Amino acid sequence: MGQRVAITGVGVVDERTPDVATWLADESEARRLSRICQLTVAAGRRALADAGLDAHGGLAVMVGTEFGDMVSTISFVDGYLGRGPGGLSALLFPHTVMNTMAATTAIAVSAKGLSLTLSALTVAGELAIARAASAIRAGRVGACLAGGADEPAPLVMSALREAGAAPELRAAGAGFVVLETFDGARERGARILGEIAGAAWRAVPARPHRIGSTASSRAIAAALTEAGASAAEVGRVYTSANGDGPREEWERALVDAALAPHRLTHRSLSVPAGRHSGLAAHSVATAASEGGDKLALVHAVARGGNQVAILVRGPDGSDS
Amino acid sequence: MEPKEVFDELKTILVSRLKFDPRRAVDLTLETALPKGVEDSIGLDSLDFIELSIAIEERFGIAMDESADLAPHFASFDTLSRYIASRTTRA
Amino acid sequence: MKPVAITGLGVVSPFGAGVKAFWEGLSSGVCAIRPITLIDTEGFRCRIAAEVPGPIAGSARRSRADRLALAAAREALDDAGVERGDREDAAVIVGAVGGGMLEAEAWHWRRMRGSTEPVPRPLASSFPSAHADVIGGTLGLTGPRETVVTACSSGAASLAMAADLVGDGVVPVALAGGVDALTRICFMGFNALRLLDAAPCRPFDRDRRGMSIGEGAAFVVLEDPARARARGARVYAELVGYGMTGDAFHVTSPHPEGEGMARAMRIALQGAGVAAASVGYANAHGTATPQNDRIEARAMRDVFGEGGLLVSSTKSMIGHTMAAAGTLEAVATVLAVGSELVPPTAQLETPDPEIPFDCVPRVAREATVEFAISNSFGFGGQNVTLLFKRAA
Repeated sequence: MGQRVAITGVGVVDERTPDVATWLADESEARRLSRICQLTVAAGRRALADAGLDAHGGLAVMVGTEFGDMVSTISFVDGYLGRGPGGLSALLFPHTVMNTMAATTAIAVSAKGLSLTLSALTVAGELAIARAASAIRAGRVGACLAGGADEPAPLVMSALREAGAAPELRAAGAGFVVLETFDGARERGARILGEIAGAAWRAVPARPHRIGSTASSRAIAAALTEAGASAAEVGRVYTSANGDGPREEWERALVDAALAPHRLTHRSLSVPAGRHSGLAAHSVATAASEGGDKLALVHAVARGGNQVAILVRGPDGSDS
Repeated sequence: MEPKEVFDELKTILVSRLKFDPRRAVDLTLETALPKGVEDSIGLDSLDFIELSIAIEERFGIAMDESADLAPHFASFDTLSRYIASRTTRA
Repeated sequence: MKPVAITGLGVVSPFGAGVKAFWEGLSSGVCAIRPITLIDTEGFRCRIAAEVPGPIAGSARRSRADRLALAAAREALDDAGVERGDREDAAVIVGAVGGGMLEAEAWHWRRMRGSTEPVPRPLASSFPSAHADVIGGTLGLTGPRETVVTACSSGAASLAMAADLVGDGVVPVALAGGVDALTRICFMGFNALRLLDAAPCRPFDRDRRGMSIGEGAAFVVLEDPARARARGARVYAELVGYGMTGDAFHVTSPHPEGEGMARAMRIALQGAGVAAASVGYANAHGTATPQNDRIEARAMRDVFGEGGLLVSSTKSMIGHTMAAAGTLEAVATVLAVGSELVPPTAQLETPDPEIPFDCVPRVAREATVEFAISNSFGFGGQNVTLLFKRAA
């Protein structure tokens, strides 16, 4: 039902990516972009280049982020704390709103379709991709750059440690997949990496910011329904595990319960390098490239219960 | 303050507040144009000018007269340096 | 677009708690922009804002923004009569920007000055994503849960996203809204950008000089119209179309010809199959910056023609409430259509002759309006137009 959703490109960058600067247009663009925005713009351009797609005005952009540009926000505030009103930076102020990565990327690639930034603990990147897939399936959007970006701010990381939060592995990075209608992708002769067969997002009952006590959830089943598939057709699982033990156990229980009686190995691309909201795109693209005749589940769940399930089909399975 | 001294301070502001590469700052002359869209200018847009105004007020202790049209003063380092120099002399 | 019914409203505004106080303030044309009490404003040119008065109901352990959010969410759900059973599947979509930054800033300030007080817990409450988790977790809403950040249009984007979920049949009911509490970052930043008027803002006035900031929260309940009718729910209005576009132009300045704004309005009309001439009222973004009002008026002229509809700015009374604005102003639009009374633009003494619309100066206007739009245009060119239709 609705449009099929093709994956036609991927671009992921992080601190280990050599020459991120080569993806920035010029010094003038680089000067005005904070680090997280540079990573996001670079990832966006890489993904579009990989897809062989020009924004041609109509591209939508969906960016998920956990903390936004907190580095700039803290710097902005510290400017005032150090020097009073004269220490405030007008250039930093737009970066204090989390839509800065999406806004600067839309400007950089001339994307004039709708642009959304979704803020969420843990699941933001997967959420952006799931919502983008839904918009394409419903025919509201023809093509979308969907993914996420994060840059852990030292002050936030130390506050988390001090507050006794679980020792999560985090890294700076950004990543996008290019999603298009299947028809649009074929029409322009795009190379198809795979397909998003189904996507859903729900909340698992839990107290705010806590681990829930139930292993029962609905996002995976809803995604399977959308894909017209059964749990038996899922062959691989990618999770959001990144060092938070209790959350990882909860995620395992949720996935196992939803796919029962099938028990699959869970793999997380967030370790050992560290999680950021751009890794959702990496997981989706990896799931597609590892092909096979089974579906792959890309899953994420946050403390507080926000849950996302994306079912990915490889290119061979997508040909039909 | 003399315009030349002001110019040196402005180059520092360009690096510290407007994030220009220090190596670029070395090549700037009094004749260098400031606003985007002017040939060979350093390409400052409206937000850059606000940042520059805040920095100038802080560094030189002057108040930029917001009710006046400041655009002519922001045309080049020469016009800006002379504007600031005249305001600091007055103060 | 499939129309969705609005069956519940909840508001905490600079006029106080509740939809009733909000509408009484708006329809009287009262200005709620006053000297700031929540934060220190020494040394800043503009020292006023529209604060929510009095203590905010709720646990003192919660951030101000979370308390605003919960209060408005509760009112909307109760107003719509959403029972416990329906809450399980209900979506929660929240437009947010500042999150619990007011408290986080204060802690950071004190730490930088030598305090050793512990980190505020939970740290997650500092971020905009907290409100959705608090509302969802506390009120038992376990459908799709999202926080959208599109700067000043966040509270409008959330309604559009919720309408998608209801229209696509993903959920039977959605709670959508926006929240922002005053923060030092917002106050200082807009001061630094020279975008604030030191006196209460004067949208569409020839002598306007800038914005006023505000705070608040609003939520609406959206559901499938047939379902609403079947259960005998009160329908305030229908959301029949929306347009979301990007300028892709500049991080703070809008496209000079309002290209993205006009496109958002056109897409909203086209999606609903409604002619521009049928729209009787536009609740403008109307921030009172010289630039926004001029460009927004130009975009409206391009779409509706000169004098084609009544226009007013709610920001003249409650200031720019940031992420809450899109929803507070949507509620104002819905109430205007239902009450046959268009709220005025306060402080409008000398209408700008370049703005070719009747901007309802100072006194509310009786008007029978079948279709009305609400515009919200965020930093970075994030444009949203919502199109409402009077309930049958």
